Amino acid sequence: MLRIDSLRKRFDQVQALDGVTFDVEPGQVFGFLGANGAGKTTTMRIVLGFLHADEGTVMWNDREARAWPRRTWGYMPEERGLYLRMQVLEQLEFYGSLYGMPRSKAHDLARDWLERFRISEYADRRAESLSKGNQQKIQFIATVLHDPDVILMDEPFVGLDPVNVALLKSAFLELRDRGKTLVFSTHQLEMAEELCESVAIIDHGRIVTTGPTRDVKRSTGRQTVRLATSRDGDIDWLRSLPHVTVTRPGEDYTELHVDAAGDPQDVLEAAMARGGDVLRFEVADPSLEEVFVERVGALELEETTLAVPGGTR
Amino acid sequence: MRSIPNIFAIARREFFIRARTRTFLLGTAILVVAVVVVAMLPVITRYVDRSSTERIGVWVGVEDMASDPVADLERLLNTSAGGTSSSSSTPDFTVTRYPDLASARQAVIDGDASAALGIERSTGGELAFTLYSEDVAPGVERTAVFATTSLAIADRLDRLGVAQAAQAGLFAPANLEIAWPDPEHAGSGPVAGQTGTDYLLGFGLSILIFMLIVLYGNWIAMSVVDEKSSRVMEVILNAATPLQLLTGKVLGVGAVALTQYAAILVAGVAALLAQGPIASVVLGDAGMEVALPAGLTIGMLLLLGVFGVLGFLLYGVLYAAAGSLVSRQEDVQAAVMPLALVSTGAYLIAVYSATGLLEIRDSWMAFLALVPFVSPFMMLSRVTAGVATVPEVVIAIALLVASIAIALWIAARIYSAGVLLYGQRPGLRSIWRMARTGM
Repeated sequence: MLRIDSLRKRFDQVQALDGVTFDVEPGQVFGFLGANGAGKTTTMRIVLGFLHADEGTVMWNDREARAWPRRTWGYMPEERGLYLRMQVLEQLEFYGSLYGMPRSKAHDLARDWLERFRISEYADRRAESLSKGNQQKIQFIATVLHDPDVILMDEPFVGLDPVNVALLKSAFLELRDRGKTLVFSTHQLEMAEELCESVAIIDHGRIVTTGPTRDVKRSTGRQTVRLATSRDGDIDWLRSLPHVTVTRPGEDYTELHVDAAGDPQDVLEAAMARGGDVLRFEVADPSLEEVFVERVGALELEETTLAVPGGTR
Repeated sequence: MRSIPNIFAIARREFFIRARTRTFLLGTAILVVAVVVVAMLPVITRYVDRSSTERIGVWVGVEDMASDPVADLERLLNTSAGGTSSSSSTPDFTVTRYPDLASARQAVIDGDASAALGIERSTGGELAFTLYSEDVAPGVERTAVFATTSLAIADRLDRLGVAQAAQAGLFAPANLEIAWPDPEHAGSGPVAGQTGTDYLLGFGLSILIFMLIVLYGNWIAMSVVDEKSSRVMEVILNAATPLQLLTGKVLGVGAVALTQYAAILVAGVAALLAQGPIASVVLGDAGMEVALPAGLTIGMLLLLGVFGVLGFLLYGVLYAAAGSLVSRQEDVQAAVMPLALVSTGAYLIAVYSATGLLEIRDSWMAFLALVPFVSPFMMLSRVTAGVATVPEVVIAIALLVASIAIALWIAARIYSAGVLLYGQRPGLRSIWRMARTGM
């Protein structure tokens, strides 16, 4: 288990991390969610040992994370970085050799990955001649080439077209099935909802909520109800019900939230009491995005990067 | 930890990436050609000289001379003519005897000879010389005066009845020794005009080390910034520690520098050694003296290697640290400025002391030559000038090694904080904090 415990880190005037604590079960895909500047990159850098935390510990399988050999870890930084004037395959061999792989083995594995991502023809090209999307795939190969047990990725899906997103997703799932632990940060909450067994939401250097995705979605105690009756068009009665918020009035159906104190069944009863037919009644957990908005606020409002004197870290 | 393999892998990448570039290959080729040309200069100048051999026509209107004046003249003109030493195998003058004055003068008019000399005996019994020439260069005239005076003196001695054998002793050069004015100063002294080349050698070696440090130091800094600006740094940092990265980079660029210097040195020495055979082919004689420049011994080359490598390592790790503080190539020059100033200052002191602008024997110069940032530039010229003692050299090397260890420690801390730092250039205070905390 990757156990991140009470991490604190201060840069000049900014408290970047303020007691970050969460666990990642091995063999899981884990989503690390937060706005820019919330502390995702700093947390990852501390986990990987690039930065020292002021306080707190990081353990992997009951041993200090730093004590594990470097080949345990794979890291895909948010800023894509390759040696632009170096050939792709040669470059991947170099990364492999840094983790102690024999060059021939790195060569063969890199070829397999290039094949799999359908970019074999770029093997002997300089990285700078590749499109952004293809560079990103090379970056992912560089991250996993040495077969790390824990893979941390900062926004791995940004800038990929749908075809490449699908390729990357399937690679994620295959790695997970081979027992690897994947942690990635993302803004795309539907992606996290789709891929992650567990998530953590971080805001202003604190973990707002964490746990299995389903539990996190239920953590607000709120439920989403989708309701359609034969007497649609008049929804004011819904608005007058206690513990109910109408989130999406629609022609087809109306979506509403029932908060923790209320009961969706009361809504159903009220609808039936009004007469007419209930055409649709559906109770669901809120989406991650809804949880996020409730816990953190709208992403759009939080897009501002924390201004760190001397640059972003 | 896998420090050594990682350092090797990083150095290896750095080496091949750099050594493969067209600029490096072309630059090395140009330097090699330049060095070969410089090394071949003696042969080339002699080749040019040979075509300018002066032919002198002589008519001897005197019968009673004890020895052959033609042979004597040739020897006199070529041996000490006006002080120009003639270890040269190509004679500066050839002397030809003509049966009469008219034909000798005609030879000058026709261009077969550059001058004609008539030798007669005047009524007083003295020899009288007349030089027939269309234009008399001052050097030639001086040479002619010296040679004819010698002939005249020999003739007077003959007429006084001094035997030929005794004359040889009379003409033997005096014994003149040249020594340092300072009685404290031991050693061979500035004898035989050799110190000139020694100073030149010290000067040259300082230039070599200065180029090595500034040129390749800049490469290191630029290479660090390259990894930062392309953001590949974080990818590498997951696999290698900043210390490994720093060390590998300095060693890799150092290996490139070493390759270039070795190519130049091998080409230069080979050209010097090939001078004899080449001279015998081009100039048609085998007697040419082949020697490395005075003072350029194997020991001196070793010392150049030691101070070159150590000086490069000291400055190299600091250049890497300086590079880690900025994130754009445009800012590199500003970041390495302090290092450039220190190395330039040290270099200038070394050059000024080697060429005599600063007194190399002053005690503060001896002290400066021990200071780690200065010693790579100064020690070599002090050794070539014969003013450095063995303990001084040993102390300088020991201090250099110790300062490299300290510099590496500081640089690694600045580097590990600097490489993740983007945006504004940090001020002195934050650099100090990085060096202290490492993060």
